[in-house]
Amino acid sequence: MRRLFLSILLFVFCTAPLRAQWTKVPAAGVPRTPDGRPNLSAPAPRLPDGKPDLSGVWNPPTGYLRDLSRDLKGDVPFRPLAKVIYDERAAGLRWREEPDANCLPQGVPKVLVAPAPWRIVQAPDRVFFVHEAFNLWWQAFMDGREFAPSPDVTPTWHGYSTGKWEGDTLVVDSRGFNGKVWLDQLGKPSTEALHVTTRFRRRDFGHMNIQITIDDPEAYTKPWTVDVEVNLLPNGELLEFICLENEKDVVRKSEK
Amino acid sequence: MRDRVLILLLAIGLFLSAGLPLLAHHAFSATFDSKKPIKLTGTVTRIEWQNPHAWFYMDVKEANGSPTNWGMELGSPNLLIRAGWSRNSLKIGDGVSIEGFRAKDGTPTGNAQVVILTATGQRLFGASSAAPATR
Repeated sequence: MRRLFLSILLFVFCTAPLRAQWTKVPAAGVPRTPDGRPNLSAPAPRLPDGKPDLSGVWNPPTGYLRDLSRDLKGDVPFRPLAKVIYDERAAGLRWREEPDANCLPQGVPKVLVAPAPWRIVQAPDRVFFVHEAFNLWWQAFMDGREFAPSPDVTPTWHGYSTGKWEGDTLVVDSRGFNGKVWLDQLGKPSTEALHVTTRFRRRDFGHMNIQITIDDPEAYTKPWTVDVEVNLLPNGELLEFICLENEKDVVRKSEK
Repeated sequence: MRDRVLILLLAIGLFLSAGLPLLAHHAFSATFDSKKPIKLTGTVTRIEWQNPHAWFYMDVKEANGSPTNWGMELGSPNLLIRAGWSRNSLKIGDGVSIEGFRAKDGTPTGNAQVVILTATGQRLFGASSAAPATR
């Protein structure tokens, strides 16, 4: 009897890891090359209404998380006070204050370039941005509503976003931010006046250009624009990411 | 086999993208010193396979024979999984060598860029923050 019990236990232990894994199912709707690999340079897909279909799991490039303006020609047009804040943060003096070091949200647009994939879920009346990073999400309404600034509006980390099509480009306007976001790890500040315009253009099946314009008249003397490119993960899937679970660098430093 | 080669190439690619921090939640230079590279060999005593960073702890013998328990930060489990790790890639009791960078605060803490399993010689890349070239 004891032997049978041990055998069952052994069987359970040996098979548990297998049962805990997903069975691999080839991603549907992926154009493939003759040898069966995803054809990432195939034309971008379209929805029945002719609009580009931006759906999929997208992987951001590295580098922009640390320095959003790394490719910017010319200087970031800081206002003097914003420059003082930036210089202190960039010198590393205030890294413990960075929201995401404390597992608080990256905000828009930083969450788009955090080192974790994110998914676009495109519905007729709204587009969802679902981020692996910190299990965050935000949405852009496509139903014609407009953001109306008002003292009664609660400022938020990801703002209030609306989207519209300009040709094949999805243009997302985001406002109503809480001013706490660092635009990058070097510490470019934002204020409640931040207005982010993000233009998504799926160039082909596997590549999407994203143009981000930062317009924050309280922190910068004029808008500035950066271009990043994200790659489709044709077989990618989002994983759970609970930042506070084992954060040891800031929040739970004493637990090392 | 081809998948394994692809994963290895991907991991090497990630590793070679030095200068590009891959940390999900704080700047590399905030906690680690890129001017203090470390190489340590020891025995794994604890593993924390959790976000935002996987950690493992290893006893490293000092010159006088007594062990010091070092904490090693890796990338997030999610990044590690995509680089070919599983939660069982490291086990308590495994002999390992690491190459990485020491924490700025002087504690026996570091960021492991490469973990080498003593038993097999397998090199696992930390899928973590590559030390930035500047700052």
